[in-house]
Formats: sequence, structure tokens, C-alpha cells
Amino acid sequence: MIRDAVDAVSAAGAGGGAGRAAERLRRAVALMALLAVLHAFFRYLSRRSLFVAAREVEKELRRRLFSHVIRLPLPFFQGTPTGDVMSRLANDLSAVWLLLGPGVLMLTGTCITWLIAIVFMLEISPALTGLSLLVAPLVVVVSREYGRAFHRQHRGIQESLAAMNGTLQENVTGIRLVKAFTLEEREEGRFGADCREYYRRSVAVARTSAKFHGAIGFLAGAGIALVLYFGGRSVIRGELTLGGFVAFNAYLAMLAFPTMAMGWVINLFQRGNAAMGRINEYLRLPAELPEDAPGPPGGTPSPPPGAVSPPTCPILEVKGLVFSHEGGEKVLRGVSFALGKGEVTGLVGPTGCGKSTLLSLLAGLYAAPPGTIFWEGRDAVEIPLTERRGRVALVSQDPFLFSDTLLENICFGKESPNPAAASEAARAARLLDEIEEMPRGIETVVGERGISLSGGQKQRATIARALYGERPVLLLDDALSAVDSETEREIFEGILKASGEATVLFSTHRMASLSRCDRILVLDEGRIVEEGTHDGLLSLRGRYFDLYSRQMLARELEEAT
Amino acid sequence: MTPPSDGFFLDDRAETQGVDWRLLRRLLRYVAPHRGLLAGALAALVLGTACQLAGPYLIKIVIDRHVTPRVLPGMAGWVLLYLAALAGAMGFLFLQMYAVSALGQRVILAIRAEMFSRVQRLPVAWFDRTPTGRLMTRLTSDVEALQELISSGLVSTIGDVAVLAGTAAILLWMDARLALVVFSVLPLLAVFVELLKKRIRAANREARRKMARLNAFLQEHVTGVAVVKAFGQEGKSDRRFDALNADYLAENVRLTNYFSLYFPGVEMLASFAVALLLWHGGGGLISGAITFGTLVAFLEYAQKFYNPIKDMSDKYNILQSALASSERIFQLLDTDVSPEYGEPAPRGRAEKARPAGRAESSVPAIEFRDVWFSYPRVDGGVSGAGAERPPALRGVSFALEEGRAGAIVGATGSGKTTVLSLLCRFYEAERGHIFLFGRDIRDIPRGELRGMISLVLQEPFLFSGSILENVASGGANVDAALSAAGVDRFASGLDAGLSTDVGERGGRLSMGQRQMVSIARALARNPKVLLLDEATSSVDPETEHGIREALPRVLAGRTSLVVAHRLSTVLSADRIIVMHKGKVREWGTHEELLAAGGIYRRLHTLQFDY
Ligand SMILES: Nc1ncnc2c1ncn2[C@@H]1O[C@H](COP(=O)(O)OP(=O)(O)OP(=O)(O)O)[C@@H](O)[C@H]1O
Ligand SMILES: Nc1ncnc2c1ncn2[C@@H]1O[C@H](COP(=O)(O)OP(=O)(O)OP(=O)(O)O)[C@@H](O)[C@H]1O
Ligand SMILES: [Mg+2]
Ligand SMILES: [Mg+2]
Repeated sequence: MIRDAVDAVSAAGAGGGAGRAAERLRRAVALMALLAVLHAFFRYLSRRSLFVAAREVEKELRRRLFSHVIRLPLPFFQGTPTGDVMSRLANDLSAVWLLLGPGVLMLTGTCITWLIAIVFMLEISPALTGLSLLVAPLVVVVSREYGRAFHRQHRGIQESLAAMNGTLQENVTGIRLVKAFTLEEREEGRFGADCREYYRRSVAVARTSAKFHGAIGFLAGAGIALVLYFGGRSVIRGELTLGGFVAFNAYLAMLAFPTMAMGWVINLFQRGNAAMGRINEYLRLPAELPEDAPGPPGGTPSPPPGAVSPPTCPILEVKGLVFSHEGGEKVLRGVSFALGKGEVTGLVGPTGCGKSTLLSLLAGLYAAPPGTIFWEGRDAVEIPLTERRGRVALVSQDPFLFSDTLLENICFGKESPNPAAASEAARAARLLDEIEEMPRGIETVVGERGISLSGGQKQRATIARALYGERPVLLLDDALSAVDSETEREIFEGILKASGEATVLFSTHRMASLSRCDRILVLDEGRIVEEGTHDGLLSLRGRYFDLYSRQMLARELEEAT
Repeated sequence: MTPPSDGFFLDDRAETQGVDWRLLRRLLRYVAPHRGLLAGALAALVLGTACQLAGPYLIKIVIDRHVTPRVLPGMAGWVLLYLAALAGAMGFLFLQMYAVSALGQRVILAIRAEMFSRVQRLPVAWFDRTPTGRLMTRLTSDVEALQELISSGLVSTIGDVAVLAGTAAILLWMDARLALVVFSVLPLLAVFVELLKKRIRAANREARRKMARLNAFLQEHVTGVAVVKAFGQEGKSDRRFDALNADYLAENVRLTNYFSLYFPGVEMLASFAVALLLWHGGGGLISGAITFGTLVAFLEYAQKFYNPIKDMSDKYNILQSALASSERIFQLLDTDVSPEYGEPAPRGRAEKARPAGRAESSVPAIEFRDVWFSYPRVDGGVSGAGAERPPALRGVSFALEEGRAGAIVGATGSGKTTVLSLLCRFYEAERGHIFLFGRDIRDIPRGELRGMISLVLQEPFLFSGSILENVASGGANVDAALSAAGVDRFASGLDAGLSTDVGERGGRLSMGQRQMVSIARALARNPKVLLLDEATSSVDPETEHGIREALPRVLAGRTSLVVAHRLSTVLSADRIIVMHKGKVREWGTHEELLAAGGIYRRLHTLQFDY
């Protein structure tokens, strides 16, 4: 608006400048320069505020999306490629920004020009204005049609971008294997196919866009032709002055460019819209809430708190737990056991019997059905999620570290890192000596996923991270598989000492380490098939005996010789 | 909250100050193969413009021949002609837009492919220090910015330049003195552009860097989301993300600021030029030096002259961000590939190093001779020299005869995995030699070297896809591999059997199952040398036993080198290598080592008499 006001005034100024008097000329020129400065200033302000506002919205949206996404339940991540999530958080968001910033700027510019031109045109000849607007409905129809096509195609593009991201991400994370198995060509083929798909779709959009531009341009021009013919006829008939006719045409010509610009605007909007749709898909997924404690379940009513006296209650009890992964068979088919406070319990079983699944359920990473897991007699589903998770420290089988300092990694579970306590945890996990050998000690930055540590160092770092919080229940999922037996034993002792009060449940495939447990659970085919002490189970000569003797067999054989 | 430590991200500065032309020339090299398309686009541009220019002329004819003299007959014909010209203009517009987009897309298709194949060939150490999210940003959004430049900037800029040159010529021809007045603000404009350019470029570069950081953070938190959840640290992650997000915003605001200044600034200078023109021209008019018509024409042309400049300045942002992106793209393309992808240098090393007089039959399958190695730092060596970690390997020497089963044991962090990585040539040894069947591995072409070796990593990694696809990606010997690794047994218990989708990284399988699939993949290759790094650490004793029994059958006379902590795995090895702090401390058979009463004996006692 300012711009057009300025344009009008500067036109007047120019007209004034054409006057004879040098004095007037000087004044007009000075006025023009001043107006130019003002114009530039306001334009700067309006652009800036619009773009900044759009960036703010983008940032806010990104923040919301991120904090929503990390609160989505774990199975979501197991079913969704990281590349797809990344793509929505990066590519789709930038498409939304293009809509909000440049898109809106162009749209307002176009609309303002249209409005002003129409006002002037109406002043000259309402009839001709009506005539020239005859094409408007057509423009609307065409825009709608193409808009739909754009939307569909842009969605496709964003999807193929996500696929490309996925391939890339997988390739990069598995680069050692790609190299070791000389899969470079295969990978290039896969990525190339993604790129070509993206290319195909982008060119298709380009074709639609070009067609659309042509069509809109033609319609805008057709308006001019109509005016030319009928307006010319009116002039010939004396209904319109020649000057009015020429001016009217000039205004119409002025409209041609903004009408074409609408093509861009619609393209940008549809792209942003498609991207926003993809973002909304995520935002609509139900997230886990920190105070998530779904109302009392219809099934088993849990004993009211206080009805049971705490000391007789096991700290953790599992009753008839049945669970299956999304789209899979039942992994757990009625698991029941209890952990007494301060007990150290071992969990063994063949590969794939569901040990990790069980530990993840106890840690609150998967949602267990109501009435199956009880914390000190309270049904877990009634305990807020944060509290439930806050009770356990899980060391998962797949050690994950952030590309941060060891200190930050060990203290991950707490707000602010405490170096002294972190060292203590590292000592208990038998990592301290190695940390001290590193030039920057506990401030050493480990690479992505802890790539700069050895397998055993990584595991011990995750153990230290679990010990740091001093949570009441410690769940170790095969967490010592990559350390030697000497270190393993030291760590066990360290854990037992460091967590005097803590309840420990650990799964393992090393039978030797089980002899020190208070109790051993044998999980097989989705049930606890045996339960007891090491000696007790050996004397049963059942599943445990088989597993144990298999590993010890070698030694016995050797002793026999 | 403090943002995550910067160390990991430090080397992400791509700076090539003031070499726009070199960058542009290099970009043009990618455009060159599509000359035809470019020429077509330009032709369509010219023809389209001609048709478009015909429009006003036809209107003029209608007015002059029909409207003014008031003759209706025949007018419709001209109007139809006008419509025809319009249709032509739009047809050419369609062709031009289409050609230009196709051009842009083809160029980025080529650039992406080149980047990807370069990435494939970068050394493993490069991946160790490059966050995945950052790399992904380069291959997606940086390339995208480039495409934007080619698609929406290149051809129209050529058009703009043509208009500019033409207008300048007309101005000079009409009245050189007044033309100079029109051009007088150009130096000022140049200074203005130059001043802002540096800043816009720098801000663009920073914005891209911050975006890469943001993405790296995102990527990491998406992959590690289970840890975030298990420790209930969503809030902390939120705050750290907010800090990065705010950083990115601040950079963009800075950029917006400059850019919002840019366009109005150029416009203002253009208005100054017009004002100056009026000042001089008006004066000239008063003194009768020029005619009114000349002045009006000049005013119009002056506007025409500055229009493309304004237009180009609008595209300047695209150009700047594309240049910032192309710096980063070319930096990646210029990174040296891993040495094994080059031609093996014709060195006499193998001959020289091979001890003379040894019969061919006694050449060991694997031999390490005084190998030293230390890892490059992941944080890009921020804190200067002197603060290095001790070398991971310190003079490792051992030999393993062909057809034998070797085992490496030792405390965690003692360098076992490193030995295997060096053998696969993921990293280059600093000192010493590694021989495979008597040849220095540096003299063995990559394909041949990796064809001989098959590896199971300590952390099993599977590609998403079915179990069968994963095993088949190793090699052709699929069936035997499946049964030897026990995969067929567990797969038969799964709903979809061997075509079960394993999920990203194999996440839908249990850890032990992942290890079994990895072993099967390695066996399918039918390797001369099999390297297993803790390959059965998460497999139950019975399954492990089964695999151990089956291995000799599949391997039949091949060499294997196994890393294991569970001594039960290594008891039957022909040769056990005991490592400690980067050195080989003991070396022999099980019995020999037990008798020697060293580290091995202690490990052994501990493991079996808990
Ligand atoms: N995210 C998942 N989606 C679908 N199926 C899964 C998923 N995770 C595990 N499974 C399946 O559930 C079963 C149990 O897996 P789990 O990881 O609990 O076994 P485990 O006892 O920990 O085995 P291991 O000793 O090998 O670690 C396996 O058959 C596995 O294939
Ligand atoms: N990519 C890397 N970058 C930097 N340092 C590394 C890297 N990989 C390993 N290291 C370091 O090199 C040393 C040897 O590591 P290596 O992985 O060879 O040990 P390992 O014997 O396999 O131990 P583990 O039994 O725990 O797997 C360790 O101190 C480790 O921290
Ligand atoms: Mg498991
Ligand atoms: Mg290792």
C-alpha cells in the first residue's frame, strides 16, 4: 500500500518536475528522493517483519514437532524409517516456511495490486471491468484444478525425498558393511533409483506448473482481448472516451504480471500444504503424556494403595503378562514372577525368547496391558509414565551414546552433570581407568553412537549412565556381552556395592555369571519355565541344566582329558 | 541450557572467500552436457518475448486503425491475431519453464549421484567424525538450493542481462550525457551490493551450518529415542533442541535483515537515478538543450534499465544461498577418497618385505608385522597436539597359517576390533605391514581384498529388507550359510519366515538373531578369510554350540580369525592371540598358553570358576 501511495506521489512528483520552473523542479526532485528513502524504509520494515514472523512460526512449528515426535511411543520409531522422520522435520518444514514467507509476501503483493487496479478500472468503466473480470471464474476453476494436481504431486515429491533420505541414512550408518561387502555399486543403484524417482516427479510438477502458468497467462490476456474488442466497440459507438480506453488497457496490462505470479503463489501454497499435511500426520499421532495414567482399567482392579502393607509387597511383580510386537506373534504368553527388594535376579533363555521385550516392558518403553505389571502392589498403568520410568535404569542390549562428552553421556539421566558422581559411576562400571587415560578425560567427546569407543567401552559407558541416577531398579539387558570375564566380574561386584539397596534384574548368555544371583528365571517360549537358585535349577536337570552344561561342557571335556 | 558441545561439529566450515566465479564456472560444467536444453530454453525465451512484445504493438494497431478512426469492421481479426500472439507467448513460456526445470533437475540428479558415489568411497575415519544428519543435509537441502538457482535463476538471469545490455545501448545512443546520469548511481549500487554481499553470504553459510547442526541433533535423537525415553529426558532434549532452534532462527533473522535491506535499497538507488535524471533533464529542458519527448522516453528507459537490476537483486538471495550450498557440495566432492579406491601404487614393497627364501607354501594367510596405529580424533583435533590418546595398536605382530582357526582374546579396549578393521583396510596402518597371503594389503586392489575377506562386525548391522535379502547381499552361498548360522531354524518360527522384514538396522529381530543373520551373510560370501568380531556374544549357548559345530563344515580349509570374550568360543582354536593394551602379549595354542601361566590362564580361571 505504502508502495503504491509512493508510486502515485512520485508520479505526481515526476509530473511536477516536468514543469518549467527550476525552483519547482528542485523541490520535486528533493521530494522524490525523500519519498524514495521513505518508500525503501517502509518496504524494508514490511518485508523484514513478514519474513521474521514466518521464521518464528517455522521455529515454533519445528519445536512443537520435535517435542511431539520424541514423545511418540517407541513402536512408532520401530515402524518408521529415521529418514522419513528426518525428512518431515527438515524438508517438509522448509516447504512450510516457503509458504509462510515468500508465498505470503507474493500473495499480498498480488492482491494489493489487483485491488488497486480494480478500483481504478471501476472508476473508468464498470461495464468493461465486469467484462474483463468475466475470465476470473475461469481463472478460479483452472487454479482449483491445477491446485489439486499440485497438491498430489508435491506430496509425491516430499515422499520420494523422504525415501532418498532413508536410503542415504541407512547407507551412511552401515558404511562399514557397504565397504566390507563391496556393496558400493548396489547402494549407488538404490540411491540412484530414489534420485531418478525424485527427478521424475519433480519434472512432472514442473510440467504441471509450466502448463498452469501458460493457462493463467492466456486467460489474463484473453481478458485484455475481450476489453480490446468490446471496449474498442464502445469507443467507436461513443460510449467511452479514447483516453479512458487507453488507460483502462494500461491497468489491465498491469494486472497481467500479478495474475501470472498467482501461479507461483499457488504452487508454493500447495507445496507447503502438502508438507503441512505430512507434518500434521505426525502431530495427530497420540503421544505419550508424562502424567499418562489411563483411568482404572476395566479388567483386573488393582488393590487400592494402602490396602497392602509395603514390606510384604515385592517391589515389582509381573502377572500373566502377554505381549506381542506390532504385527507379530505373541512373544510373551503369560509371564509371571516377582522381584523382592534388593534381590539380584538373573534371566536366561534362548535367543529370541523375549528377554529384551520383557525388560523393555518393565522399563515402560512398551505399553503393557493393565493388570500385568505391579510396582509395590500398584498397577503400573495407574502410575504416571515419568514416575514409572524414573524407577528403573535400563541398560539396553544395543548400547547407544550421544555424540557428546562422556560426562554428558553418563549424566544423561539428570538435569545437570555432576563430575564427581559421574566418576564414581564410571569407577563402578570399570571405565574410569580408561577414561583417565584419555587426554581430555571425562570431557572426551565420543563420536556418533559412541563410535570412538570399543564395544566393551560403550557398554560400560551405558552401565555408568544407568548407575549414575541411583534408581531403585536396575535392568541389565545382556549388558556385559562385550566385556571380558575379568571386567565382568569386577563390574558385578561394583554394581552390587554401588547399589546396595537396588533390585537388579539382568539377562545374560554367560552362564558362569549366574551362580552369584539370588534367583534365576528361565524364559522359554513366552513363559517362565524354571525358577530358582543356581544349585536348585541344576539339580532339576531341565532347561537351565541344558544351557549351563552346554557352555561348561567344553571345560569338563577338557578336565576329563 | 548449553547447546551440545561444539567439538563434533567444528570442521563444518566451508570457506572459500571471493571465488564466486570459480564456483559458478564449476557449476556451469554440470550444465554443459545439457546444452541442448539450455539452448531450447533460451530460444523459447526469445520467441516468447517476441510474441509478448507483439501484443502491445497489436493493441496499438487496433487503436490507431480502428478505435481512433472509428471503424469496426476488421477489428475482430486484429483482436484474434492478438489472441494468437498471446497463445504463442504462453506456449513458449510453457516450453521455457519446462525446459529450465528439467535442466535444473538433471543437473542435480548428476550432482547427487556424484556426491553419493564420492561419499561411498570416503575413508571410514571420515564417517567417524561426520554426523549423519549433517551429511544428509548436504545431499538433500544443499543440493535443493542449487537446483533452485538453476531452475529459477539461470535462464531468467541471462534474459535480464540481455535486456540490461540492450537498454544501456539505447540510452547511450539517444543521449550519452543523460545516459551517464542514469548510470551515475551504478558505482554506488556496486558498493552497496558488494557490502551486503559479503554479509549475506556469511549469514547464508552460517544458516546452512546451523541447519546441519540442527539436523544432526534431530537425527541423533530420533535414533536414540529409546534412551531418551528410558531415562525420561524428553524435557532436557526439548531444551537443547530449543537452543539449537533459536540459534538457527537468529541466523535466519540476520539473513532476512540483510536481504530485506537489499531489495528496497536497490529500488531506492534506482529512484535516485530517476530523480537525478529529472534534475538534469529538467534543467536541460528549461535551457532548451533537450526535447520533452527525449526526457519522457529517457524516464521510461531508465525504469526499464533498473527493472532487470531489481529483478536480479531479487534472485540474488537464491544465488547467494546456492553459492553457500555449492561451497559445501564441492567441499564434499573434493574430499580425498579412501586410499584403497585409488590404483594400488606400483611399489616393490611386497617383494621387498617378503622374507627371501621362504617357500610359497609356508606363507601365512594373515600376517601383521610390527603394526602401529592410532585413531584420528573424532572432534577434529580441537585442543592442539600433545593431547593424543595412546595408539590403539603398538607394534602388533602375529601370523596365522592358511586354513587355520585363529582367535584373539584380551581385555576390553585392548585393540581386537582395531586389528580386524586394519585387516579390512578401513583404516591405514601408520607403521608396519599387514600381509594377506604374502601380499601387502596396500598392494591388493580393493575389490580383490574385500572379496577375500568376510566380516561380522561387533555390532550387528542389517539393512532394512528381508532376512533373505540381507544374507544374499553377502554372496551366493545362501542356503548353506542359512543353515550353518542357524538362521533357518529361528526363521521358521517367524510368521513370514525368511522374508520377514528385519526393520531399520535389524531392529525387529532380537540381538542374537541379528548376529546370526550377520554370520550367515558373511558365510554366504564363501570367503577365503572369515573375521568374526564377537559374533556370537548375544547368542544362547546352545545355538552358539550349533554354529561352532557347523562352521568347520562350511569353512572347510579356510582361514578364520575370531574375536571372543567367552573362552568357550575359542578353546578349539589352532592359535590364540592374547592382546593387552594394544600389544600382543601371548600367542599359542590353548594348552601352551595355559601352561605358560600368563594372562590367558588368569582369564581362563576367572571365567570358569566364577
Ligand atoms: N520391534 C520388534 N518388532 C517385531 N518383532 C520384534 C521386535 N523386537 C523383537 N521382536 C521379535 O520378538 C522376539 C523376541 O525378541 P527379544 O529381542 O525380546 O528376544 P531376546 O530374548 O532378547 O533375544 P536375545 O537373546 O537374542 O537378545 C523375537 O522373535 C524377535 O524377532
Ligand atoms: N573409531 C575410533 N576412533 C577413535 N578411537 C577408537 C575408535 N575405535 C576404537 N577406539 C579406541 O581404540 C582402542 C581399541 O579399541 P578396540 O575397539 O580395538 O578394542 P577391542 O579390543 O575391540 O575392545 P572390546 O572388547 O571392548 O570390543 C580403545 O581404547 C578405543 O577407545
Ligand atoms: Mg535381547
Ligand atoms: Mg571390539
